[in-house]
Amino acid sequence: MNALVDAMEPGAEKPATAASGPRSLPGKPGDPPGARRFIYPSGARPLPGMTIKRGIGHGGFGEVYYALTDGGKEVALKLIRRNLEVELRGVRHCLNLKHPNLLAIFDLRRDDQGDHWVVMEYVTGDSLEQVLATHPHGLPVQQALAWFHGMAAGVAYLHDHGVVHRDLKPANIFSDQGIVKVGDYGLSKFISCSRRSGHTESVGTVHYMAPQIANGLYCKEIDIYALGVILYEMLTGRVPFEGESVGEVLMKHLTTPPDVSMLPEPFQAVVARALEKDPARRFASVEQMAAGLPPPVQPEVLTRVAFADAGRGTAPTLPGAPGSASGTAGQWLTDEPIFRWLGDLGRKAARSWNQSKNTPVKVAILAAGLILLLVFAQGLLPIAVMALGFYAAYAMIRAILAMVLPRAPAPAVPPGPQPWAGAPGPGPPFGPPYGPGPPPGAGPPPGAGPWASESAPGGSHAASPPQAQAGQRGPHAQPREALVLKPVRHRVAELLGSMLAAAPVVLVMTVVMVLVNGFRGWEPRLEQAAWLAVVGLAGTWAVLIPGKVWEGRHGDAMVRRFILLVVGLALGAAAYALASGLEVALLPDPKLSAVSRSRAPSLFYGPGGQPYLMAYLAVFATLFAVNAWWRQCDPLRAARMRLWSLLVSVALAWLVAELWRFPSNWLMMVACTMSVAIQLCSPLVPKRGRLPPG
Amino acid sequence: MIRQQPGLWKALAMGFSNAVGTRRFLLWVDAVGGFWVCLGDEVVLGRSTSPVADVPLLADLATCHARIRRDSEGYLIEAVREAYVDGRPVVHAALLRDGSRIQLGSVVRLVFRRPHALSATARLEFASHHRTQPSVDAVLLLADVCVLGPAPRSHIVCPDWPAEVTLYRVDDALYCRTAGALEVDGRPGRDRAQIGPDSRIAGPHFAMRLEPL
Repeated sequence: MNALVDAMEPGAEKPATAASGPRSLPGKPGDPPGARRFIYPSGARPLPGMTIKRGIGHGGFGEVYYALTDGGKEVALKLIRRNLEVELRGVRHCLNLKHPNLLAIFDLRRDDQGDHWVVMEYVTGDSLEQVLATHPHGLPVQQALAWFHGMAAGVAYLHDHGVVHRDLKPANIFSDQGIVKVGDYGLSKFISCSRRSGHTESVGTVHYMAPQIANGLYCKEIDIYALGVILYEMLTGRVPFEGESVGEVLMKHLTTPPDVSMLPEPFQAVVARALEKDPARRFASVEQMAAGLPPPVQPEVLTRVAFADAGRGTAPTLPGAPGSASGTAGQWLTDEPIFRWLGDLGRKAARSWNQSKNTPVKVAILAAGLILLLVFAQGLLPIAVMALGFYAAYAMIRAILAMVLPRAPAPAVPPGPQPWAGAPGPGPPFGPPYGPGPPPGAGPPPGAGPWASESAPGGSHAASPPQAQAGQRGPHAQPREALVLKPVRHRVAELLGSMLAAAPVVLVMTVVMVLVNGFRGWEPRLEQAAWLAVVGLAGTWAVLIPGKVWEGRHGDAMVRRFILLVVGLALGAAAYALASGLEVALLPDPKLSAVSRSRAPSLFYGPGGQPYLMAYLAVFATLFAVNAWWRQCDPLRAARMRLWSLLVSVALAWLVAELWRFPSNWLMMVACTMSVAIQLCSPLVPKRGRLPPG
Repeated sequence: MIRQQPGLWKALAMGFSNAVGTRRFLLWVDAVGGFWVCLGDEVVLGRSTSPVADVPLLADLATCHARIRRDSEGYLIEAVREAYVDGRPVVHAALLRDGSRIQLGSVVRLVFRRPHALSATARLEFASHHRTQPSVDAVLLLADVCVLGPAPRSHIVCPDWPAEVTLYRVDDALYCRTAGALEVDGRPGRDRAQIGPDSRIAGPHFAMRLEPL
């Protein structure tokens, strides 16, 4: 153990033993590692036919250079300073391994000094270590999965050929043109569990070292352990065992169980099993470990991006990409000019509304609009009904014409700025299959374009039209997965917070309703206001609770509507019980109803228009089923408070009430209260959801 | 089409002048990266087989695809063929700002960087997989001064360096400046030295080399 710790100390690297000939080490011992000079300068030719261009870095085994052969081929040269026979044998065994997820080793050469060089493939992309450095709170889940499956495929291939990597760590994993490459395996040790050779000398960064390395056991379980550590680090941004000293970290590897509680399933189970102290209890193979995780869906997530700080928008979807194309039914609607114009107008208004940070003005506009709506409802209704009628007639004629007339060829995707979308065909294959069998992932959907992965946390939306449009889908595509990762206890805490916050909001809204009604010359009585407040709060909670359960999941909308319908029935019964308990008379407002109430069924309404239980049940069940309430508490909604959602809720409430001949003023007030309370009190993930940092 | 003609001639003339004088070189910086340095005020971007391109890229581009020009105002990109800046097509020319995203043709994507407002030196980073031959980490459009150092505003960011090294230009001669020991082509010196087209520059904590193209 002590020998191991000694070997791990950063300063314990042995000074150059072969400092002969042209070699010298200009760096002083106290220099930071990056500031050390390289033995060979640019232009040197230690091997015939190869010219060193520059030093790349210092590894545990020696120095790595970027070089060009005389023919112009780019290679990476690794100088092995410690010519241990066992290591050279390891490289020789790996010389002819071929796998897209392994950094290719071309040759093992010897120079005039007697030192050995490994000639390797040169990668232009970043290492996982560099990528992690730019994501202090972890990578987006899909990106982490893409990295993981790539490296798992490479490591599985190594194990399949009897090689244990022994030194898996983010600095050894690269992305080259979107393909994950595992490097440094040449210096791995050939599997020989029986041969616990006298080496206590360990390589590898201590954070990724399995506990049994202390015993000199180098089996493939140590790679599985390291993969577990790397997966943990990719998801959370931290390694599972941190410590002040090497010894402390090693001790934690040996004794402390990892805290995986912030990881969601299935990540929690996979990481926990990979990090078992007893190698026998870990996954038996890398394939088994990878099979426990969902396959990656985006191939381009690893593309190298250099402008994380450029303040670009969130992952834009390509205009015209299959993922964002609407179906044919929606197509007709979006083609229709009047609808499109209205839609554009609405989008513009919504954008300026959502971008404006002036909340008092927003509230004032909202209140003014509401008052105007209520005051002039009588005059506006016929106009709106007439306009809708005209539009329906027009749309019908247009639809008939469209069916009869041959279709003009659709114009190509917007001219010009398609460029940022210009992906060079389908991305390269990501994780090749683990041996025989189908690849782990189905064909990746062409989601984000090549610029997609460069989003700055909290970056503003790009101004160019294609991206602004694409942003509609962008923020919802990725973090949805991350929401699944939220632990139950966070969810419950968030839900309780929302429910508590809803109470004062509902109270304020009730006061607003009383004021609006008072302004219109009809003041609700105290018990009526109490009914409104209680039903509004109950309705808000009745949406918040299922909404919290559903958040982050792609559920069937019809099933959700049905569940909400059941909830609505219950709320209707409660509202009726409350109304009869408080002896509230919910009388209709003649100004707001367009339909005559004279023919209301007697089973539903009393002689004075007083609703009975049946009316309550019908109205609340319909109100809950027709409106997609859960979207208003979605943490990934476009903005905390959207005027549009509020208007839709109120308008739907009016329609539902008219349909059942319920006093529409009351239902509209309930819907308005609920919509405001739900939206204001539900948490909102700013732009891009991430894993909670812990 | 008429507009393209003089541009092409100019580009040809520039290609010729490139062949005569040293207007481009490679800068290999140990542990940091390789850089394609252009000294001219006008730089032609084109495909790798192009005789006129100052920055030949291994990509599906025209011989002279676009020009980037530096004047007292800043940088302009002139499109000879299909080019876009920040998603908008470049009709004649477009202004480049720090962070501008350049697209050439349908595939090549570059990011324009001007790290320091007080220096006209700019950097082109590769955002697609297309590179020069041999591949470098960025193209440097060297105006007067190029700062290599640990600060994020350096033209070439060298995270582990304890101090800055400056390359600068007086007329047509290049100089190197740093605080402390400075060794050029094996000759030890201090603080400041003139460098040639094929110089090795080394200090206690760094090493780099110029390679003429």
